[in-house]
Amino acid sequence: MLAYTAKRLLTLIPTLLAATILVFLFVHLIPGDPAAILLGDTATPEEVAQLSAELGFDRPLWIQYFLWLGNVLQGDLGTSIFFREPVTAVIGSGAETSILLASMTMVWIIILGLPIGVLSATKHGTWIDQITSSGAMLAASVPTFWLGLYLIMIFSVTLGWFPSSGFPSLSDEGGITNLRYLILPSLTLAAPNAALIVRLVRASMLDVAREDHVRTARAKGLHPARVAIKHVFRNALIAVAAAFGFTFAALISEAVVTETVFSLPGIGRLVVQSILRRDYPVIQGVILVIVVLYMVINLLVDLAYARLDPRVSLK
Amino acid sequence: MTIKSWMKSALAVGALMTLTTGAYADGMLRYATVGEPPSLDQQVITSDLATTIAHHMFEGLYTFNGANAPVPLLASGETVSEDGKTIVISLREGVQFHNGQAMTSADVLASLQRWGEFGSRGSLIFDHVESVEASGEYEITLNLKEPFGPWKNLMAFINGGPAIYPASVATGATKEPISPENYIGTGPYKFNAWEANRYIELVRFDDYASPDGEADGYGGARVADFDTLRFIPVSDVGTRIAGVRAGDYDYAESIPGDLFAELDADAGVKTMLNGGPIFGLVFLNSSDGPLKENFALRRAIQTAIDKKPALQVAIGPEGLWRANGSFAPEGSVWNTPEGTENFSKGDAEAAKAMAAEAGYDGEPIKFMVSTNYPFHYDSAIVYTKQLAQAGFNIDLQVYDWATLIEKRAQPDQWDLFFTHHGFVPDPILISVMNDNYPGWWATPEKKALKDRFTASSDPAERQAIWAELQALIYEQVPTMKTGDVYTYNIASPKLKGLGEQTLIWPSFWNVSK
Repeated sequence: MLAYTAKRLLTLIPTLLAATILVFLFVHLIPGDPAAILLGDTATPEEVAQLSAELGFDRPLWIQYFLWLGNVLQGDLGTSIFFREPVTAVIGSGAETSILLASMTMVWIIILGLPIGVLSATKHGTWIDQITSSGAMLAASVPTFWLGLYLIMIFSVTLGWFPSSGFPSLSDEGGITNLRYLILPSLTLAAPNAALIVRLVRASMLDVAREDHVRTARAKGLHPARVAIKHVFRNALIAVAAAFGFTFAALISEAVVTETVFSLPGIGRLVVQSILRRDYPVIQGVILVIVVLYMVINLLVDLAYARLDPRVSLK
Repeated sequence: MTIKSWMKSALAVGALMTLTTGAYADGMLRYATVGEPPSLDQQVITSDLATTIAHHMFEGLYTFNGANAPVPLLASGETVSEDGKTIVISLREGVQFHNGQAMTSADVLASLQRWGEFGSRGSLIFDHVESVEASGEYEITLNLKEPFGPWKNLMAFINGGPAIYPASVATGATKEPISPENYIGTGPYKFNAWEANRYIELVRFDDYASPDGEADGYGGARVADFDTLRFIPVSDVGTRIAGVRAGDYDYAESIPGDLFAELDADAGVKTMLNGGPIFGLVFLNSSDGPLKENFALRRAIQTAIDKKPALQVAIGPEGLWRANGSFAPEGSVWNTPEGTENFSKGDAEAAKAMAAEAGYDGEPIKFMVSTNYPFHYDSAIVYTKQLAQAGFNIDLQVYDWATLIEKRAQPDQWDLFFTHHGFVPDPILISVMNDNYPGWWATPEKKALKDRFTASSDPAERQAIWAELQALIYEQVPTMKTGDVYTYNIASPKLKGLGEQTLIWPSFWNVSK
């Protein structure tokens, strides 16, 4: 296991290097000059060029890349052109929201997705299965911006139960109770993902239920619930565990719409705003962090496979 | 712990989180903005959002009263020599900066010098300044090369204007915006925090020295009732509206016109019209391409366009727009009908004939527009159709705003581009008057009139010259005005002291809840 992990970590290096080149090129090939945006409408071309030079954007691209890479290797992602703060601090500020949002969403996915998926599989072909499957299809189909706005209208404007938007940090006034700002966004984000987990659990359990060892368990006279949980559900979890890993990574990077609707200061909205502002260091930093996150989660999922399924060997 | 007790605990936490009252006291005003400004440095940044926030903490020597006339703010008065070339401004005594330091002429001098050299609008006045000096501890003297009529209006316009900073901040500052730790002003609120992507927060400045007199526009007494002003970026308009309705925000800006009737009838929110309209501008390239110096072809383009359908499509309710060809809104002393008979002809046949006479042979005309501003894009679509009907071969190029800004600085990249302009109290501040603004309109006729316009201090004479300048704009067509747009914001009905309209930018001194 250790040798495998070390080998996998080593293969991450060239992948990461390729990713940094792609990210850097992609960011710098977009038209638009951060200096022009910063100085506004009345700046002359000379003033824009001067500020651009002060920010170091007049150097050849490859020199800019290696300077950036050198700093990244020392843990310095640069300074945000827009916020004039270290990129790590800007990302850190968004990371709190994104990680909490993704974690709460995962909680909803587990609370809703797993039991409903098990219910749907164990009641396969009945009216319960029909209702849960249809509900899952509906949840997967509803656009998140629409669902988010309706949840705001019902639970914030009409009932006044939850805040409509924003998220003060847990270190701000309110402390842990500020998590209530994330209830509606996490429900919004959970709906399509929980629906997918419902479908996945149902399909995996139905697959496993057809296997010989399940038939043997039933033939031994075990209670149907025990068969469903211990023999079917546990084996079906192998496929579901991989889905959970990638869902968590996706929730960090793909929550743009939800973060926009609920005005959450997360990483998804940060990267979109930074692209509009051409804040190169932040765009590069965020994408790099997301790439690393995906790689690490990919590795963890592979390692988890081996733990969950002894038939899988790590070579 | 059993499953049952876990569930009980979870329910209890959920109930607690649900029932916990809002985290914010009534001493905080929460303002939902469309985004975050690039900086709050008023001398170099012209973003309206930046001024909406920053004019609570930075002040200039003058400001505008409710009639948009300049009145003293940090100044206490001035004397102008008979030849109009020496202006002595006396400063209010007892004014403190947010760092506790007293404001003197040394700070004003350093601020004016930085603004004159690097400020966004500084050169408009400093091109006419021979020297500026601190002629006393509380006195500043401007020595002009020639009389310059609009000096006080320019001094009073804080957006890209001469905000007064401590000398320690202004000295050595360049075109690059000053950083947040140097946001030290004299206003009723002081800078507290800029949490990236979360909020910008100002807190009451307890040692604020308010000007005397009854509050009038931005002039007169300023009282900071709120402990804190928090400006929160909420990019989605639906969320901004829902947030005010739910009581999570007290004020939200930039609401679409098509929701005006619904929101105006809603007792849960108060609609706040902005008194100074913004107006769209389509710039024509005077430096390169087929439109360069071909005024006849430009007039053909102008003749092809009917502005009303575009305003109806892009803005919506008629109360929120005016098909006004004057560059100043109705009621302004600068409003004049000169040239406006050509504002919105919409005559395709006449335009076609004029284009043929001007030698137009169907070559593509590159029209740049951005989707970042829906009203730009919607209007451009209507114009493109109208121009096509008149036989123009329009190459509509749609970009995001950052790309458009970069491309418009390159004369060979475009022939027309769409932008908009905020309300300004003096026509000298309109971008087309700036020879260096993309479009680069700098004809001898313009120069002659502009020189006369800025040299005169007589209001009636200046108004007459401005009428001539506006007529010249309709003749040479360096830009086409698209009409006045009255934007509006919404506020919580709990806010007291807002008045009926916003003057230029919302202000929250003399406001409470």
